[in-house]
Amino acid sequence: MKICIYEDEKTVDFFPITMTRATFEIRSGKTLLLEKILDFLGNPKDVCLYVRDYLVPVVKLRYPNYKVNELNALRGDDVLFVNGRWLYMGEKLDVGKDEVLFNEENNIVMFKLGKENVERIVTGNFLENLKNIVNDLGKDTVKTTVYNWPWEPVLINKEVLEFDFKRLGKRGIYGKVYGDIEIVGEKEDLYIAPGAKVYPNVVIDTSEGPVMIDEGAKVYPFVFIEGPSSIGKKTYIMTGAKVREAFTAGPVCRVGGEVEESIMHGYSNKYHDGFLGHAYVGEWVNLGALTTNSDLKNDYSEVEVYINGRRVKTGSLKVGSLIGDHTKTSIGTLFNTGTVVGVMCNVLSTDLSPKYIPSFTWYYAGRFSIGSGLRRMLRTAERAMARRDKVLTDAERELFKYLYEMTREERETYIKRYSKK
Amino acid sequence: MSVNEKEIEEKVKKIIAEKYGVDPSELKPETRFIEDLGADSLSTIELVAELEDAFQIEIPDEDAEKNQTVGQAVEYIIKRLKEK
Repeated sequence: MKICIYEDEKTVDFFPITMTRATFEIRSGKTLLLEKILDFLGNPKDVCLYVRDYLVPVVKLRYPNYKVNELNALRGDDVLFVNGRWLYMGEKLDVGKDEVLFNEENNIVMFKLGKENVERIVTGNFLENLKNIVNDLGKDTVKTTVYNWPWEPVLINKEVLEFDFKRLGKRGIYGKVYGDIEIVGEKEDLYIAPGAKVYPNVVIDTSEGPVMIDEGAKVYPFVFIEGPSSIGKKTYIMTGAKVREAFTAGPVCRVGGEVEESIMHGYSNKYHDGFLGHAYVGEWVNLGALTTNSDLKNDYSEVEVYINGRRVKTGSLKVGSLIGDHTKTSIGTLFNTGTVVGVMCNVLSTDLSPKYIPSFTWYYAGRFSIGSGLRRMLRTAERAMARRDKVLTDAERELFKYLYEMTREERETYIKRYSKK
Repeated sequence: MSVNEKEIEEKVKKIIAEKYGVDPSELKPETRFIEDLGADSLSTIELVAELEDAFQIEIPDEDAEKNQTVGQAVEYIIKRLKEK
């Protein structure tokens, strides 16, 4: 049997987070959704990923061992198709041939096609074919999570971190611990990887959940880390930081100030003081000193978020910022509750930000602009990446050029609208 | 490339006027960006990007720094468009 992990038409509802990554690259708990799906599948070698056309070159670079959008390779065998928005949390799921599993919200979790039906889905438009074929399959409903919106991984990060800790099975102190650290709670719920460094006068609280500190990470003095939390490889937690529960930092981040129930992808910085709560932060983001986001409205009402051109009720009283890749903020930036910031933005907002900041814009002094233009934005990205010994690939450059044109109309609308204020 | 210098001058002035909140008729060739229009580093970068976008040219930073007045900017854009 062959395997295909695919994106469906809901990708746009995760913008700007999924502008630069596939839905299965959403970080949830310690890892990406993809890693958990592969774990469920028994980590097969032969996998086909199906993503939006404009993402193909970057996804190919990220996963050189997998086929990307090579649907013809699925011919001649039965195929299990898994929705890239699915969050695997240890469920024992089984799907029969020519059967589809839905969750209780009517999202497809996975479906298996016999080789005769595989022919029907790989010829022509995959997503259109999918809609037609699903009607012909046997159906079953299971209790599991398929994400619908980008704030959902944040809201259940606590449970997912706890699951990842059990799933990965790593515990114990293997890194270098200098002097006295205080562990509140069970020591068995702590993992300090080989090569990690924890400096003196650090307090780690595992009483509400496990704490995972990866290889090469550094935790500087006078830091408080509350579990469940995950500190990625080579990520530094700066002196005096308060890392509250349900926090995930990917690899090579810099984290200071106060963070709580938030997810940061790799290579992002929140080096200095300031509060980040219930936020989802992409890669290569830099939050200037004292950047703070609100995650709770003063009237304790439900937070609404602008997604894909419409206002969506989140069903939650707490939602922080959703920030796209390569966005930078100035010192003292203040994000309103549930603010969405696109990719490659530059935000200089010492008064409360607008709730939506389109990709590739600068926002300052109460108005939007095209800022320095794409060419200089890409140069800034190159400089930021060089500081971490990374190179902006041609595929990434082309992706940003594509996204720049894709978002042009929206950006120009906002620039005009705010110039009249 | 054939270039209508008058049209270009008007277009450049319109972009500059919108950026600094003045009427295009107030802009003279000798009008200085920093001293007369209050340009700062951020608005200067934005202006350069807007001119690049409007005329589909690339303006190197060192060239941008040499253009201190509206007249110099207009002359520079015309020169670059003639070179296209």
